[in-house]
Amino acid sequence: MSQDPLHTKLCDQLGVEFPIVSFTHCKDVAVAVINSGGFAVLGEAMHTPDEIEADIKWIRERVDGKPFGIDLVLPASAPAETSLDEISAKIPDSHREFEQMIMKKYDVPMPKESVDLHQWGGLSQALGRAQLEVLLEERVPVIASGLGSPAFLLDAAHERGSLVWGLVGRTRQAKRQLEAGVDAIIAQGFDAAGHTGDMGTLSIVAEVASIAGDTPIIAAGGITTGRHLAAALCLGASGVWTGTLWLACRESDIDMIIKERLVASTAADTVWSDSISGFTMRVLKCPWTEEWKNPEAPRPLASPYQMILSSDYIQGANDARRGDLMTEASGQGVGFVTEMLPARQIVSDMVEEALGVFDDLVGLPD
Amino acid sequence: MDPERAGRRAECDGGGLVMGSHYAARQEFTGTLTGEYYDEGDPPWRWYKMIDLTRKPNAYPFVSVWCEADSLFLIDED
Repeated sequence: MSQDPLHTKLCDQLGVEFPIVSFTHCKDVAVAVINSGGFAVLGEAMHTPDEIEADIKWIRERVDGKPFGIDLVLPASAPAETSLDEISAKIPDSHREFEQMIMKKYDVPMPKESVDLHQWGGLSQALGRAQLEVLLEERVPVIASGLGSPAFLLDAAHERGSLVWGLVGRTRQAKRQLEAGVDAIIAQGFDAAGHTGDMGTLSIVAEVASIAGDTPIIAAGGITTGRHLAAALCLGASGVWTGTLWLACRESDIDMIIKERLVASTAADTVWSDSISGFTMRVLKCPWTEEWKNPEAPRPLASPYQMILSSDYIQGANDARRGDLMTEASGQGVGFVTEMLPARQIVSDMVEEALGVFDDLVGLPD
Repeated sequence: MDPERAGRRAECDGGGLVMGSHYAARQEFTGTLTGEYYDEGDPPWRWYKMIDLTRKPNAYPFVSVWCEADSLFLIDED
């Protein structure tokens, strides 16, 4: 092998050293990864336009001109708008009673304050649009869409020098976005944290890579080691998108109780459940997810009903910092997250291990 | 109205932000396009209305859904 196997077209596109993308909601993690030779995309879906603008400035002040990305959840569908009161009134008594049974059985404290469920429906389009305006105005180096197609904003982004990435869970979504001209596709498999499609990472990465031509493909879902990185490159990806890997790192701002649970967990401690939001998503098992799996349990409701039902449990557990009740989105690669390491070391370990794999397979030049 | 899409069967790879969280989540729909659409902002972000939903999330409370244009797949086209 005559070339550095980790120097991919994604590295060329971004001007970064390693094809490792950190997806994180923590600015400190993002900056640490960027300054370690990787790339970071900060999830800002829940932030106001003003907060996003401030975060962009904060990152820019700390990365010495290096590129970074911002991820928004552009919606792909929207029901008619309605009020939370109208929705709440439609939740069946049987489901309310089941929720109360869980709260009582596990002595779940009520939230300290009423849960702030953000608006939805048509408002999510308006919010997405306002967030997007900030990214365009700020000429963010990479705009990533974590769900809906970003095709409509390609021209506006490219005119401002921004790259646009789209995250897909199906090959047909990738095909549509590639035809539109996105700059990279994040192919996310079933192993991932949070909500995923139903295709495994191995399958979707290989399928999308086979139709991508020169467009970089970034593999996502269950990737937490250098072996995963090497495997993803062998599948045709040009880099990896990693989320769970950074949750327990030293710079991460999530609750220490969750960090401790993450480093103690394996893939078997995660569950793909629709009991929290009504959408299926991969999370760490907790009493709430397990109770809804019982044969006697009612079938979880659709979003947003189920989120309203689960919100007191989730917020109450978090407010009281009850480790026996809390949960967090986690991918199946969590079993390799065994220490709370600095981000720089995680990048370095991943690179070293991936190079070791390639060296074992084909031999690397000295 | 987009008369060319009115009455066409389609699938929508939909979804959005999970309310009360920062997570994205997908929802799939199959139904019939009415042909109604609207454009949000500039550059235009186009949304089509779908009714007669034969596939929708369990206990989905509405009889229609708005689908983003690039997340729609016409059934007889695929």
